Amino acid sequence: MSAVPVLETQGLGRRFGGLQAVSDVSFSVPEGQVLGVIGPNGAGKSTFINLVTGHIKPTEGRVLIDGRDLTGARPWVIAKARVARTFQIVKPFRGMSVRENVAVGILYGPQGTNVMSQAIKAADEVLEEVGIAGLGDRLPGELSVADARRLEFAKALALRPRLLLLDEVMAGLRHTEIEPSLELIRNLKARGITIIVVEHVMKAILAVCDQVLVLHQGQILTTGDPREVLADPRVIEAYLGHRYAKRREGDS
Amino acid sequence: MSTSTPAPRQGVTSALHRDQARRLLPWGLGLLALLAALVLQGQLFSGQERTVSTIFMFVALAQAWNLIGGFAGYASFGQVVFFGVGGYFTAVAISHWHFSFWVSLLLSGVVAALFATLIGIPLLRLKGHYFAVATLGVAEGMREIVTNLPDLTGGGAGITVPTVGNNATTAYLGNDGFYLLFLALAAVSVLVGGLVARNKFGYALRAINQDEDAAAAMGINTTRMKVLAFALSGFITGLVGASYAFQQVTIFPQRLFDVDITVLMIIMVVIGGSGTVLGPLLGAVALQFLSEFLRQNFTDLHTFILGGIIVVAVILLPQGAVNYVREARRTKEFSLLANVRRYRL
Repeated sequence: MSAVPVLETQGLGRRFGGLQAVSDVSFSVPEGQVLGVIGPNGAGKSTFINLVTGHIKPTEGRVLIDGRDLTGARPWVIAKARVARTFQIVKPFRGMSVRENVAVGILYGPQGTNVMSQAIKAADEVLEEVGIAGLGDRLPGELSVADARRLEFAKALALRPRLLLLDEVMAGLRHTEIEPSLELIRNLKARGITIIVVEHVMKAILAVCDQVLVLHQGQILTTGDPREVLADPRVIEAYLGHRYAKRREGDS
Repeated sequence: MSTSTPAPRQGVTSALHRDQARRLLPWGLGLLALLAALVLQGQLFSGQERTVSTIFMFVALAQAWNLIGGFAGYASFGQVVFFGVGGYFTAVAISHWHFSFWVSLLLSGVVAALFATLIGIPLLRLKGHYFAVATLGVAEGMREIVTNLPDLTGGGAGITVPTVGNNATTAYLGNDGFYLLFLALAAVSVLVGGLVARNKFGYALRAINQDEDAAAAMGINTTRMKVLAFALSGFITGLVGASYAFQQVTIFPQRLFDVDITVLMIIMVVIGGSGTVLGPLLGAVALQFLSEFLRQNFTDLHTFILGGIIVVAVILLPQGAVNYVREARRTKEFSLLANVRRYRL
């Protein structure tokens, strides 16, 4: 395990006009960890991911990847630094087959190749990894919700990332569909990939995360062990409101 | 979860051959079409030769538009600006600077590509209608600039390329020569389209077309790819404009920057199937052929009928003929009504 964290943010912030969407977020993720990022709707979770991957430029602070300052770098620069992401609303290339979707990442990813047959072959391997090997010829529009999420996963893995940011990959999945995703995350972790999981499904957070960071109104509310953080009255209050938190306190 | 069934052993080699045949088929067909065009030339009267040259010209223009508008999905409504820039560069280079036509031709392509790069860097940040309107504005503005530089461009009175006498640097090519020139431009443009479609570059453009954020997240330098596509598109369009200027001898800003030319390119690509190689080719041939046929048979009503046919075609095949056939073959759903429903509702 190297001493330099895979991702470090220092005082990261973003203002949209009068709205401070994210402010003063400073933390670091050591290599090989799975970090959960939770928080109520509008807490700034997706903005935070977008700030790291360069889809939104920060107005304050810095983003360090492997110790390299990549603050405000364009998304393709971040991707070439082996940071991959999924999108909360899946973004497949609709006119391309599932296999071609993944091949794009292999053609243009950090290891970039110019040989089409090689890219197609590597794409099939990635599809196998995420469990949709048989769907390579389909169009993304023909996939089920769960398989579309897997495609989103596969596209990210095509970059052979060191850091993977998952933006609500389990939202809208059925109970039985969540387990395979968790298994996939565990496998990736076992391979040494550092993962940031933004999620509302607490079961998933508890199952795979080493550490949890809670965002509330754009700021870090607390960080720590998943179980402790989820029991924290401040976190419950952020999610469910002041009165619910008080009532719960009274109960216990 | 479905998994791929392994192909039966004896089928493997034949599948490989079939795969190879499928890959070589377009090249073979292309070569055949090229030969057919050369043979056809001997059978045509000189008036017909000119008509067919125009078809070739539009094949090249449609292919060029397809690179940025079809593959990358950036509908350029000012594409004619590269046609005009190429045409005027050649006219000025031959008459003022005494360049040969061939040198001017090549330089016109380069100048148009540089111009595309220059305007592409700011304009390709815009999307959809905004990009369309901005490019339209550039073309209209350029026409005014050219009109208002009478010393260089002859202004509204036009500029004449010397084709005879001492000032002529390259002898006029004549109908035979221009037939071959426009055929060559059409062939090159189709070749470029074919290479882009199968190449890594084509994947990047299609990815940008379908989701630019996702494309960037996959490591594609979207800005660079869009500008490259625009420059390549401008290069071909500039070559065509230069050839057109030489063919016309005297050119005017009204014609060289005519928005109708852009509209024709777009209609051809959209009807044929944008983002494909065959689409713009078929669209250009079909529309020019139809237009010429109607002009000869229904002098007064020709534009009215042509317009009607275009409207019906776009309603029934909103994704273009080639894309319709592809989808229909994939899904085994050939009904036009179902097609309309899928795209309109």
